[in-house]
Amino acid sequence: MINSDIIRGNVDAIILKLLMEQDMYGYELANVIKTRTKDKFSIKEATLYSAVTRLESRELISSYIGEKTRGGKRRYYRITSFGKAYYAEIIKDWQFMKEIMVAIIGSDIG
Amino acid sequence: MNKIKKFVSNLLKDYFSEQDKKELITILTTSLEEKVEDLVEQGTPVDKAIEQSINEFGSADDVLDAFPKKDVDHKQKLIMTRKHQFWYAVLGYILIVGLAVFFNLTFLAFFHNVYWFIVVAIGMVFWPGTMFFHYREAKK
Repeated sequence: MINSDIIRGNVDAIILKLLMEQDMYGYELANVIKTRTKDKFSIKEATLYSAVTRLESRELISSYIGEKTRGGKRRYYRITSFGKAYYAEIIKDWQFMKEIMVAIIGSDIG
Repeated sequence: MNKIKKFVSNLLKDYFSEQDKKELITILTTSLEEKVEDLVEQGTPVDKAIEQSINEFGSADDVLDAFPKKDVDHKQKLIMTRKHQFWYAVLGYILIVGLAVFFNLTFLAFFHNVYWFIVVAIGMVFWPGTMFFHYREAKK
């Protein structure tokens, strides 16, 4: 199991990326993360939903009430243009970080 | 579904300012209710779905993890300090007024027939009153 502290610090990037692909509701986000990491990492929903709230208050994402395919209503989140710009910044930082890490420990990663 | 809101409110009761807390409780409750509905649709009995959602949700610490540590720590510390100061003032108030009542009604012949402890009781209100005001300001 990977040290989840590292991933937790990047929850913003994960949420923004997933919302760039399509609008999702809270539990859907949790499920997609779990499936995509093949159950290796399941973020606590308490952390995920709180991060979503924080991103919304910073206007990086916005929410709307939408109908679900079957039955009930869901609160869907979509990324704002501000959020997309912020995501681009995160990617730039990651790129930079990656270059540095590869330059230093690259030979050990293989 | 009331059980979920109760659970979330209880989880956050010692954290965040009143307004942030209200907003956070609404969002967290909505997301949890959506999860319960999804689980029920997949065939889980309602009671079990609620229980499972609550169990898997995580702790107050997990909620705090989503916020920059510096902000949370500073704000939290201030609120806790103010809270302690307020309760200290309340206890001090009760002690002093209690003593005044005791002296007034028992062995002090001085103004024996006058309830002068009321003056002390009203005069001392400023202490817990001020502390309560500070506490409320910190929570805002």
